[in-house]
Amino acid sequence: MSNESILSEIRDINLNYLMLAQQMIRHDKPAAIFRLGISEDVANLIASLSNSQLTKLANSQMMLARFRFDDCSILNMLTSYNKDRTLTNAHAVVLMANQPVEAIA
Amino acid sequence: MVKKSVVEEAEQIRLAIDLINLGARLQLLEAQTTLSRERLIRLYKELRGVSPPKGMLPFSTDWFLTWQPNIHSSMFLNIYEFLVEYAGVSGIQAVMAAYRVYLEQIGKGPDDEPVLSLTRAWTLIRFVESNMLKLMPCSCCGGKFIVDSYDLNENFRCGICHVPSRAGKTKRAREEQELSSGVA
Repeated sequence: MSNESILSEIRDINLNYLMLAQQMIRHDKPAAIFRLGISEDVANLIASLSNSQLTKLANSQMMLARFRFDDCSILNMLTSYNKDRTLTNAHAVVLMANQPVEAIA
Repeated sequence: MVKKSVVEEAEQIRLAIDLINLGARLQLLEAQTTLSRERLIRLYKELRGVSPPKGMLPFSTDWFLTWQPNIHSSMFLNIYEFLVEYAGVSGIQAVMAAYRVYLEQIGKGPDDEPVLSLTRAWTLIRFVESNMLKLMPCSCCGGKFIVDSYDLNENFRCGICHVPSRAGKTKRAREEQELSSGVA
């Protein structure tokens, strides 16, 4: 994969992420806050972005969304599962809900 | 006579409709809305096509401590507490929002009966508010699970890290397995 195509993929994902997030927040804000793991302020901000602002923001070379499992032990536990899928999902929800949201500093 | 606000009544009916659609029992509706019992029964019949079920609500905390219900209700309670803390919702609205997310998480179709019903979820919140049940971090994974407040919970391990030997081996699960192996 060439460097240029990686960068364009990142821009693609950024735009997709922001558009999806915006739709989720507009549709059902509490659920979106839970799913995205962002604070209410950030959610309000994303929902209020105009289309041109959105594309400008997405057009950076950096990933805008962050990986939410920054705890190694939790990640290990979830990936090395051999139990059934619903149980893994339930466990992930319980563990995710305990993490604080990303907020504007 | 107190003058009734039409707008407020409409809001109450809207709330009652949402609750009934999520599967609320009549006692929950009576506690959470200001509508009269007769109107609630009529509303229930109109939406569901049947009379509301009679009898008392489940009142024991034990149900929340058995294996599968514990995992499901812990999931719900974690979602609920997250929403109350970060999404700025409260009261019955928070219960409804958390219950919707819970239903989506377990990914059941509209015909399947979810393990945790809305009425049970609401009862759970009341148990937690009256300090009969609480969330306890598992000593193994750190996830919070529901435990009895008056049990000894030192070195508590959750039902997923430490699966009890007979967990999930219910009569229904066995029948389903026989059915699928018979088809294959």
